[in-house]
Amino acid sequence: MNFVRDNKIPLLYTSILYLCGFFLFLEWLYPLQEVTDTSDLNVFILFTVFCFFISMLQMKWWFSFLLKGFALVFIMNSLFMTTYPFLSKLWFKYIFMEISFNINGLFNQEWYELTPLFRSFLFLLLIWLMSYLLHYWFVIMKRIFLFVLFTIIYLTVLDTFTVYDADGAIVRTFIISFVSLGMANLFKEIDRESIRFVWTKKSSIWIFPLIAVVLFSSLVGYAAPKYDPQWPDPVPFLKSAAENAGGSDISSTVRRVGYGEDDSKLGGSFVQDYTPVFQAAVKEEHYWRIETKDVYTGKGWKRSADPNYETQVNGYIELDTFSDNVKTEEHDTVIEFQGNNVIEKLIYPYGINQVEAREATSFLLDQNSGEIRTQVNNVDRALAQYRITYDMPSFAIDKLRKVSLDDPSEINDQYTQLPENLPARIGELAKEITASGDNRYDKVRAVENYFGQNGFQYQTNDVPIPKENQDYVDQFLFESKVGYCDNYSTSMVVLLRTLDIPARWVKGFTSGEKVAENIGGTDESYDVYEVTNANAHSWVEAYFPEYGWVPFEPTQGFSNLTDFEINLDNVDEQDDTLEAPEQEKPEKKMEKEEEKDTAPVVKNNTIEKLDINWGYVAIGFTVFIILAFLLYRKRYHIKAIILSMRFRSKHDAKTYQDAYHYLLQLLSYNGLSRNPNQTLREYAKRIDSRYSSDEMGHLTDYYERMLYNNEISETETKKLTQLWKNLIKRIMA
Amino acid sequence: MMQETIVYNESIEKVLTNISKVMIGKEDVATLSLVALLAQGHVLLEDVPGVGKTMLVRTLAKSLDCDFRRIQFTPDLLPSDVTGISIYNPKELEFEFRGGPILGNIVLADEINRTSPKTQSALLEGMEEKNVTVDGNTIPLKQPFFVMATQNPIEYEGTYPLPEAQLDRFILKLKMGYPSLQQELMILERTAKDHPIEQISAVIDKDELVNIQEQVKSVYIDKNVQHYIVNLTSGTRRHPAIYLGVSPRGSMALMKAAKAYAYIHARDYVIPDDVKYLAPFVLSHRIILTSEAKYDGLSTEQVIHSVIKNTNIPIRKEFR
Repeated sequence: MNFVRDNKIPLLYTSILYLCGFFLFLEWLYPLQEVTDTSDLNVFILFTVFCFFISMLQMKWWFSFLLKGFALVFIMNSLFMTTYPFLSKLWFKYIFMEISFNINGLFNQEWYELTPLFRSFLFLLLIWLMSYLLHYWFVIMKRIFLFVLFTIIYLTVLDTFTVYDADGAIVRTFIISFVSLGMANLFKEIDRESIRFVWTKKSSIWIFPLIAVVLFSSLVGYAAPKYDPQWPDPVPFLKSAAENAGGSDISSTVRRVGYGEDDSKLGGSFVQDYTPVFQAAVKEEHYWRIETKDVYTGKGWKRSADPNYETQVNGYIELDTFSDNVKTEEHDTVIEFQGNNVIEKLIYPYGINQVEAREATSFLLDQNSGEIRTQVNNVDRALAQYRITYDMPSFAIDKLRKVSLDDPSEINDQYTQLPENLPARIGELAKEITASGDNRYDKVRAVENYFGQNGFQYQTNDVPIPKENQDYVDQFLFESKVGYCDNYSTSMVVLLRTLDIPARWVKGFTSGEKVAENIGGTDESYDVYEVTNANAHSWVEAYFPEYGWVPFEPTQGFSNLTDFEINLDNVDEQDDTLEAPEQEKPEKKMEKEEEKDTAPVVKNNTIEKLDINWGYVAIGFTVFIILAFLLYRKRYHIKAIILSMRFRSKHDAKTYQDAYHYLLQLLSYNGLSRNPNQTLREYAKRIDSRYSSDEMGHLTDYYERMLYNNEISETETKKLTQLWKNLIKRIMA
Repeated sequence: MMQETIVYNESIEKVLTNISKVMIGKEDVATLSLVALLAQGHVLLEDVPGVGKTMLVRTLAKSLDCDFRRIQFTPDLLPSDVTGISIYNPKELEFEFRGGPILGNIVLADEINRTSPKTQSALLEGMEEKNVTVDGNTIPLKQPFFVMATQNPIEYEGTYPLPEAQLDRFILKLKMGYPSLQQELMILERTAKDHPIEQISAVIDKDELVNIQEQVKSVYIDKNVQHYIVNLTSGTRRHPAIYLGVSPRGSMALMKAAKAYAYIHARDYVIPDDVKYLAPFVLSHRIILTSEAKYDGLSTEQVIHSVIKNTNIPIRKEFR
């Protein structure tokens, strides 16, 4: 055994292999940001670097265990538990609660219930394991191919089925893999041939050709013309088979529906998700507002300014979307979230007055967007239940028709913004649509109704994403004419803005589906509505001086639930009364469709649990398989370690018998099995001649004496243990 | 790979060295003869004349300082020629017993199958009972007592093959076999002047031999080795090529032989290797093959080997 030690490859050089392993592993982490909801990858990358570094130093196992464990706790603490002092009573209590909650979730298979803390913890643990595994594969075994293969499969699958673009990653992987494979091969050769390792002199002989070959082949590969696929693309078929969402080659991404925050890139298809979000008891159904956005980029929506939050006193929300001139009726509602609420914002009706929550909650309002954050103990927290009193508005149509056009200048500045390169034909279309209207209300109504009559189709699949130089609204209005609420609402806002009518884009939920009627007695008849992720929605608010923001609903198949009052004294209004039933007809027809309309937004919040979990589950499963495989492959090593530990402490016959029989098992695994009619001596002779040693003979001699002569000698055990270990090493080498 | 060195019991090694001075390339037969001697059994040597059967026995007798007798069996040999006879002594006016060759320590019964069953049984009775009865007087045989009978397997005319029940009395059946070319050359070389048997002397005496025989009895044999023996012998009773399997006497013989073999190898316990090695010599003359097997050209040794092959070695034990 000693000769091996002499020509051992220096740590520094094997570490180069390990470094390659590290870079390959990073290729596993990079896509996570895009395909899962991992918001900050840097923490994980840092932890990976740390773990790999510690493993590289090859310290005592307990020491590296401590270091890595400490790093893990440190990261978890600084990410999730800053509210409580480190290691305080509350801290432990919090940890305990988290653990019991998640363990519960695990056993009930409620994967989406797992908290971010727990998921992050598991993921960090995974990284830890991988750092060990890769060290074993790359540095000790110098077997790299399997991991390379897995990496390439992983990247290709992600590239094919998700938004992740692995063009760069696959080139990097190729270079790293082949360099490391080449090096591993050399190191293995050195090991096998027992050549003394002289790095400096000999390195150039192989290192230059290796690098040259790898670089040359990757360059050729990169530059070479690529054939079209030889097989028809299986992806649409797989997708339609898997999700029944129709093969979509127009949009490359299919997303899941629900409320989310990032609206900067609209477009593309989505699938429905009927996971309930909340239930609300209301007297009259209405939309639920969350926030508005004011800057249209040509691709989607942004906010013009960073939010400026003001704490609201005693739950009184000082948000006025309409003025006192609007007639209101006082209402109240109770909202109860289903399952795990993760929207850390208030979902509220128009005319909100006051919120009462069970916990001592502070509400932070951003006047600009109407977004209300909910905080408990200064931490963003999604509320489980709250009650809202509100003044439900009712807009008088005749009054809206008569409003002046003197918008306050700041409203005009902020809400008539349009991107510079907006195609002119949109403005022309707007003028055309509104030509007959002589007041703002009629113009807005004309735009709202435009979509119902001009061949626009409501659908959620096969919705295109605008090309790089294409405007989202322009594409919808003039090219595709198919889409869902985001297309309709954004188009309406843009059309209105071209006419200098201040308008903004609103996000929230529709009223949902009635699940119970007339609860709470006769006089106060509340209906209970269930709102699911599929009810996520977007609509339009247009500004009317003296009255404020009035909601409109351009999306086909959806009805504007806002109350518009008609004064019968006025002749003009008869148009409206006529209009109203007309409008309702398609509504009823499309009632079913209505449920479907929703905003396809990639969600940062965990309503999106399913997506995230698949990512983790896939990786977890792969690692599990690898681990299981490795455990299986290493079962003899593991058992050897266990036995030798037992052997050390116990010297009785049974232990020795187990150890000896384990040896037989191991030998038989290595193709040297004993015939049942072969005596131990005969067998030992064969083994010893095979390994050119006399260890098996000695061990057998002792075992024979024990077995056939009941002889146990305490004095020999030390020597025997050594012999046994040597032989095991020899066999496993 | 290292050359295996066999460890022998000290006194036995001396005997074996002595024999090897005379007998060339017959170490295993010598060892096996000693096994029979130490197990207080007897040996049947089946081989053609002239391969050194007599020389082996003589050398053994000389090395052990034992009284060597030889009986050449012929068809006209009488039982009294073996056991001895009472002759009237006119001086003393009494019948006086004159002991036959069976009263030696080591007896070579040459070509035992040439004589009549009556004479054969006189010898066999002595081998079994350790005494002979002449004219109503029971005369104990000398200790140690060791018979080495030879049988010529070639000639069948005018022979009286030993019945199976009598073959059972021999603990081992051995074959000498021809020496190799090299060995035969050496034999010529050594015997060119005078025979080396003249130069050897006794290395242990009778008392020591008896003592050793006692010690052999106390060699330890573990239950699982006994199991192995029983598995072997019962295996012969189930084997399809065997008409008559090994009797319990065969099991006992195998155990005794194994103990002696272990003793010779300086062990005070029996290991399966001993049993496995001895089984063909102890068992093959105790079975009768079926006619089919005989016509198939199978030998008893081959069948015993197949039994051994199908019997598992005990390698595990319940330890508490």
